[in-house]
Amino acid sequence: MTALSALIDTANSTETLPAGLTSFRNEGAQSLDGVLIPTRKTEDWKYSSRRLADIDGLSTLYTATEESAPACALEAIELRIQNGQWKPQVSSVEGLNFKSFADLSEAEVSEVTSGVIAQSKDLSLSQLNHANFRDGLFIEVSKGVQVEQALRIILQHAGEGISYPRVFVKLNDNASLTLIEDNLISHSETGICFFNAVVDCQVAANARLTYLRSDMQRSMQSKKLCATGVALHRDAYFESHMLALGAGMGRHDLRVHMLEPGAECDLNAVCVTKDKEHYDNHTSIEHIAPHCTSNENYRCIADGSSQIVFNGRIHIHRDAQKTLGSMNNRNLLLSSGAEIDSKPELEIYADDVKCAHGCTIGQLNEKEVYYLKTRGVSEKVARQMLTLGFVLEIVRANPNQNLAEFWENTLAEQLSFEELA
Amino acid sequence: MLSIKNLKAKVEDKDILKGLNLEVKAGEVHAIMGPNGSGKSTLSQVLAGNEAYEVTGGEVSFEGKDLLDMATEERAREGVFLAFQYPVEIPGVSNLQFLKTAINNIRQHRGEGEVNAAEFMKQAKEKIQQVNLDPSFLKRGVNEGFSGGEKKRNEIMQMLMLEPKLAILDETDSGLDIDALKVVADGVNALRSPERAVVMVTHYQRLLDYIVPDYVHVLANGKIIKSGGKELALELEEKGYGWLGIDEGAQV
Repeated sequence: MTALSALIDTANSTETLPAGLTSFRNEGAQSLDGVLIPTRKTEDWKYSSRRLADIDGLSTLYTATEESAPACALEAIELRIQNGQWKPQVSSVEGLNFKSFADLSEAEVSEVTSGVIAQSKDLSLSQLNHANFRDGLFIEVSKGVQVEQALRIILQHAGEGISYPRVFVKLNDNASLTLIEDNLISHSETGICFFNAVVDCQVAANARLTYLRSDMQRSMQSKKLCATGVALHRDAYFESHMLALGAGMGRHDLRVHMLEPGAECDLNAVCVTKDKEHYDNHTSIEHIAPHCTSNENYRCIADGSSQIVFNGRIHIHRDAQKTLGSMNNRNLLLSSGAEIDSKPELEIYADDVKCAHGCTIGQLNEKEVYYLKTRGVSEKVARQMLTLGFVLEIVRANPNQNLAEFWENTLAEQLSFEELA
Repeated sequence: MLSIKNLKAKVEDKDILKGLNLEVKAGEVHAIMGPNGSGKSTLSQVLAGNEAYEVTGGEVSFEGKDLLDMATEERAREGVFLAFQYPVEIPGVSNLQFLKTAINNIRQHRGEGEVNAAEFMKQAKEKIQQVNLDPSFLKRGVNEGFSGGEKKRNEIMQMLMLEPKLAILDETDSGLDIDALKVVADGVNALRSPERAVVMVTHYQRLLDYIVPDYVHVLANGKIIKSGGKELALELEEKGYGWLGIDEGAQV
């Protein structure tokens, strides 16, 4: 059994991070001491650990690579992190400031190190990022600034090895931002591409963050293990929309902390896997303060002999009275070889709350297939329409219409089936 | 147009149709009546190609072709349309998208190109108003959250869009109020032409006040036991099925 500490990157000491970040990273490295690669017995990895079998021995990637453009062009300010490395490409605009971790002031450093939500033990192996990141991108929206244009961060990985992109986003009071995240992994023919990104967001009082995440690279050589953390302060609002396609291994952890009253979040995602692919969704909502609302809607479709995991946790702390929580996870299995593991976890310690959860796993309804066929629609198209229809509502809820359309077209292509024998 | 000879069918090992004969010519409207459990819906489903029903004997030809040999969607493309007794709800697939796909599949079968988008929209709006539904229904999921009457009207709307040669209405009138019944009847009457035929399965004579049939058949115990003109329906309404020697209780 391999220890995670084998993956500590010892070549990183030459980097010029501020002292506070270096010691933060050292803490990360120390936390790996004696920790083994998760196994089936690790609760958080129960359904996915076997996909981790071949990660030991990978080395850290930290080199600029050839730029590749995301498949969907969008109207946005674009920032690019290549194999964990950020080079300033565009200059900051009024009210929207971005800089490298190397250039952070002491105060900013302490924001980054204290505001970490995404990373916690066992989650997406984000502790590897904690121990190994060499640089990062710091984004800040000034007080009261509503950034009109979307900000797109393109996280690129190229070649065999592990890359550790790290992003910290800070929205000050009354600010608003749409953050688009694209994961671009150019896969290597033989070796493993281990993509280990961490995005942390601090959303201050009455600020609004819209987070649109495309995790669409489908290579069996890829392991995409990423975490996003969001801290919501008084009356802050966070909405996320994600399209995740399977790969050799996929995992996304979304952690939201409702720190002060009036915070609200809406988490929406569509996850689709085929062939032998895998994708694991972990969400965790901590209702720490009273009077907060969370809504969650995840829909998953698994075909072939692929596997999807949904592990949704809502934790309502003792003082979080008047919480409204709802979690909905609907799953569609398209083949007898596919597997979906759904695990809602509700922990409620306050007594005056409403918290609902629903989970379904099913197949296409043959009556619906028949109905479409009686109108002249072929078996193949009927199945495609119904499968796409299962997730369309969530896809179309994406407020960026161009991206929503791109997602829809991609899914229409993904979900076209061979004529059944 | 449609010729059914000695048709036998079963569902889940239960024989339902036991040698049914029916001839429908272009331009004709046939009504099929009969007590519960006589096989009316089975007949509709067998003609449309529901695989839950197994044909165990007999033949059905549609315009000279073997209908039973065709896949469900092929029958539709050849011009057979079934208005369902219980239309299914399909959330996530919009009425518009569904209709467009259906029409394009049918056009492709006929060797025609894709339907013109503007022309299609115009027609769809026209037809949805014709069945007294708000055009906003076009954007909603197929039958999603529709009331019973709205579903039936949506079936007629689809029929008007697809312009089938043979329309089979499976108890389309049941559960409708008088206004909706008129809407449905108007839709069917609008489709009547010398090239088309209609087979209506119904329990009630009142539909036949609005859609006047050329022939009325009584289906009982899997066979047609009596055929006649429209006056037969009135006679049934008055006397029930008992005088034909059918024990109604035994049929259910």
